[in-house]
Amino acid sequence: MALKKNKLKEYREKNKMTQEKLAGIIGVTRQTIISIENGKYIPSLPLALKFSKLFKCKVENLFEV
Amino acid sequence: MEMENKTRVTIMYAIALVAFILGLLFNYFKIGSPHFQTFGSVGNWLIYLGFVGLIIATVRLIFVSKKKTTDERMEFVATKALRISFLSLIIGAFIIMIIDGIKTITIPYHMFMSYLVCGLLLIYIIAYKILLKFY
Repeated sequence: MALKKNKLKEYREKNKMTQEKLAGIIGVTRQTIISIENGKYIPSLPLALKFSKLFKCKVENLFEV
Repeated sequence: MEMENKTRVTIMYAIALVAFILGLLFNYFKIGSPHFQTFGSVGNWLIYLGFVGLIIATVRLIFVSKKKTTDERMEFVATKALRISFLSLIIGAFIIMIIDGIKTITIPYHMFMSYLVCGLLLIYIIAYKILLKFY
């Protein structure tokens, strides 16, 4: 299963964040951010909620299955 | 929930000490087979285990201070690697049963189990490293 929509990279760049910085804030490794951005790994609901809270947007604006 | 390095080291010290003391007691009361391969006796093997445990715990206490990040992707990959290891164990057991049926395996039980544990650990580590590249 792959994500239909994945705007994590877009939101990260809009907020002028590096992968390293985002990983540090969320509490994951940089490799995980890379995997999510490349669509290799689908984040869990708690992780997706963390992203949406950080970028102040709805989860469905970030990801869509 | 992540375990703190200090707690982990304390548990390792406790296990190592128990192994060490058990080894000394086994040797003192002459419990167990004296023909335990490589180590001479079960007591010696336990003392060796305890000694290695103490060294690892001390090295961790001195050199490992940085908090290691373990995220959900790593846990996901670890679960998959564990599943592969478990499947390998079942398939391996079937193969060993067939081999044993054809020609009896004569190596001592403790040697057989140590090969099995080492093999499983190796399969787990290789599977984990490979899967990390795919997820």
